Amino acid sequence: MQRLFAIITLTWKAAFRFKLFLVVAVLLLASVVGLPLLIKDDGTARGFTQILLTYTLSTVTALLGLSTLWLACGTLARDIEECQMQVVAVKPIARWQIWLGKWLGIVSLNAALLLLSGVSIYALLQWRASRLPAQEQQVLRNEVLVARGSAKPATYDKEIDAATEQALQDRLKKTRIDQADFNLVRQQIREQIKARYQLVPPNFTKRWVIDLGLAKNYLRDQPLYLRVKFNSADRSTSGTFDGLFAAGVPQKTALWRSEVMSLAPDTFHEFAIDPNLFDENGQLTVEFYNGNNTALLFPLDEGMEVLYREGGFGLNFLRGLGIIFCWMALLAALGLAAASFMSFPVAAFCAVGILSLVFASGTMANAVSEGTIANYDAEKGTKGHSPADIVVIPTFRAVLKLIALARDFSPIDSLSTGRSVTWEQLGLAFAQIVLLLSGVLAAFGIFVFTRRELATAQGTQ
Amino acid sequence: MNPRLKKILLLLLAGVLLAGVFQVEESMNLDRDALGLTRVQPLENAPPVLAFTTVALGGFRGLISNILWIRATDLQDNDKYFEMAQLADWITKLEPHFVQVWLVQAWNMAYNISVKFKDFPDRWRWVERGLDLLRDDGLRYNPNETLIYRELAWFFQHKIGANMDDANMYYKQQWANEMAQVFDKKTPDLEPLIHPRTPDEERRARLLREKYKMDPEFMKQVDERYGPLEWRLPESHAIYWAALGLKEAELNPSKIKPDDLITLRRVIYQSMQMSFQRGRLVANPFLKSFEFGPNLDIIPKVSAAYEQAAQEDAKNRDHIEKAHKNFLKDAVYFLYVHNRIADAAKWYQYLGTKYPNNTLLDYQTNSFPRNLTLNEYAVSRVEEDVGETMSRDRIKAIIEGLLTDALTSLCLGDNERAAGYKLLAQQVHNTYSSKTKARGEALAISPLDDIQREVVNRLLDPQNGMVPEMRAVLRTKLNLGPEPPAAISSTNAVPESASSK
Repeated sequence: MQRLFAIITLTWKAAFRFKLFLVVAVLLLASVVGLPLLIKDDGTARGFTQILLTYTLSTVTALLGLSTLWLACGTLARDIEECQMQVVAVKPIARWQIWLGKWLGIVSLNAALLLLSGVSIYALLQWRASRLPAQEQQVLRNEVLVARGSAKPATYDKEIDAATEQALQDRLKKTRIDQADFNLVRQQIREQIKARYQLVPPNFTKRWVIDLGLAKNYLRDQPLYLRVKFNSADRSTSGTFDGLFAAGVPQKTALWRSEVMSLAPDTFHEFAIDPNLFDENGQLTVEFYNGNNTALLFPLDEGMEVLYREGGFGLNFLRGLGIIFCWMALLAALGLAAASFMSFPVAAFCAVGILSLVFASGTMANAVSEGTIANYDAEKGTKGHSPADIVVIPTFRAVLKLIALARDFSPIDSLSTGRSVTWEQLGLAFAQIVLLLSGVLAAFGIFVFTRRELATAQGTQ
Repeated sequence: MNPRLKKILLLLLAGVLLAGVFQVEESMNLDRDALGLTRVQPLENAPPVLAFTTVALGGFRGLISNILWIRATDLQDNDKYFEMAQLADWITKLEPHFVQVWLVQAWNMAYNISVKFKDFPDRWRWVERGLDLLRDDGLRYNPNETLIYRELAWFFQHKIGANMDDANMYYKQQWANEMAQVFDKKTPDLEPLIHPRTPDEERRARLLREKYKMDPEFMKQVDERYGPLEWRLPESHAIYWAALGLKEAELNPSKIKPDDLITLRRVIYQSMQMSFQRGRLVANPFLKSFEFGPNLDIIPKVSAAYEQAAQEDAKNRDHIEKAHKNFLKDAVYFLYVHNRIADAAKWYQYLGTKYPNNTLLDYQTNSFPRNLTLNEYAVSRVEEDVGETMSRDRIKAIIEGLLTDALTSLCLGDNERAAGYKLLAQQVHNTYSSKTKARGEALAISPLDDIQREVVNRLLDPQNGMVPEMRAVLRTKLNLGPEPPAAISSTNAVPESASSK
């Protein structure tokens, strides 16, 4: 432990010696203080807070990410090139302890810088919020500076699957379906059956029952928010449709009814409803009356959602920073792993290349969804074919799965929209990003570094 | 040759060449501009940071702009709009000369994003964002681009002025409120803004110039040429920006396509037509709101604008003439309704002269101007509006509606309009009576005075009639004396009026 601590201390000293800590700290603080002066918001306190959170946290993540990569590559590769590592390696310390010590040093450095930036952002947000009128503060505390959980109605997957199979069997009895078309027919039948659960014809009412679960115990007298989205096959002249919502059950709970709202299709709409509309079992009943002359479709997966206060912003913010911290730990491991067997410029180039690959994963995802890397004719809906597809597409698929382990967390997005970053998410992020991905990179890096013949390194001094 | 002499000669030659370049550079730049050889023009009016950025980034500007555009599209697909103003700002600043970028970004905010919000104040904020982007930045860097003027004018004419958006009345109200600050909550008067004398007038003139980027002197020219205009309404601003676009086009004729001019002129005559139909604000102090009234004073100028447009746009001449004919029909009717019978007769005659072979009424193949008198046309127009009918109840309902409009106009101080509606009610009554004379009592309608008395009683009903202030005004105008105090019921007995039903 003492040996590890010695390497950690050396890494910190190197960071201070290179003025890296100071420069990054100043840059981070400058971005936190300077960004609010530069950014153009949408004119609302809510929008300003959202953009401030998004841009400051993104800038902090980008700055820290790049400096972490640079430091991780530099601290090991340059130590070897400058023959300092050779001096350290002859001391009674194992190579894995040197590697791990450096990683822990960088990670702890990141923790300190992230904490510094986090405290600054948090203080800035609270300060700006406290200067707003009481009503806007209320909106902010209810919709952005909060950790909101969500509940959705049942998706009826089992019922839909069962009805689909039944209908498919009935169809097979009547007509023959080619094997090539079988999945397509099944999909079409499923969509037809699904539509019955989603569609609200003109002058009809649709009802959702949403189970709030254990949240019912702490939601008394708390405002709830409905987040709804619908689609329409028709276009209205105004681009919007009338929406009339009601919540509660007569003679059982309090009742609430909205004004007629002008709502655009294909868009999420969020609005507050009165507190205490759910029953003693925590079930909230919501109804929508379709007064338009066209049918509206509320998708089962995202058509109706209830948002409620789950916790305060402070702890949520801390959990969000926790996930960013996990990313930094991964970047540190990546940089160190690259520097374990490459010179500083090559290691830095490789690490940045891998990072770019991660950011370009959308292109890979497109190729996977189209099943080819050949040109896709969107108009014809047909795709070409490349002989390389046999190797490339499965490789892309595997790479995407690997990337998803780290990318499938969006703390900045959650924080800026007032959604909860749960302890489970943080735990999962730690397990996937730090333990699994960083662990694999660390194992590789330590293995290579342990076997590396340091004397053959081309020293620069 | 002596090296020193050689150097001196070379220096002299360099100087002569530099002087020569200086002489021809300006004319060469003009030629490059005229022949379309210049793809990158210097940025006008740009702050130093933007000027530096656009030069320093060079070809990468387009790349960065594309990345930002992709992010904006992704965010919009996910209904996240809080970054859109910032992204639009960056995208347009990276490509400040690419006019379509300004147009698309402004349109996106004013049209696509605004309707995504259910609350009208949120929608208005995004409409304003679109206006601001074009007016404050787009025109600042591209002062000669007619397309930007056209788009800005279209936002006023269509987005705020038309009734496509559910929130259009809110937009109009907000715009009227903003303009009320410029015009000190009074009927717009441009003179104090052109020659401000008091600190308040100076403040308002500055507000107009700096925030709304409008020149009061040019507003006056527009008002004289196309008006009188009500500057609190969006149509007037559509006309202003289109007229300014035409003025800029005149200054840079080599850069202008004829079609661009036609679209600008179209905005002008369409907005003038709209100003004629509802270009007058009628404040309703009783309901703390405003209503629209027609602006009859601009009829000659609207007609002239149509005729000019028809003359200049040969391709669409038929459509424009058809629109002109419809406008003249409306003008005659509106003048009649507002009791300006002489003017109505003059324009009716003009309509007959200009379009003698066009019918005036739908589904009446013989309704040529020569076959109908002005009175017949006006009455038929009312019937046409409500569907041709000989039903006594239907006609009575029409007359009651006209009398209600007359009495409401009287309350709001619009005596001309009140008299016009009364006259039209009289005409409808006379026409119906003469047509049904043969049927005698079977289809007879009550005398007009009786119907009016009925309508007055209804409007003065404390329970279901007008608001108290309006009732008081109506009583004064009709010399009916003060409203009797409401009877206080001391028992639980059913009121007489109710029990007798």
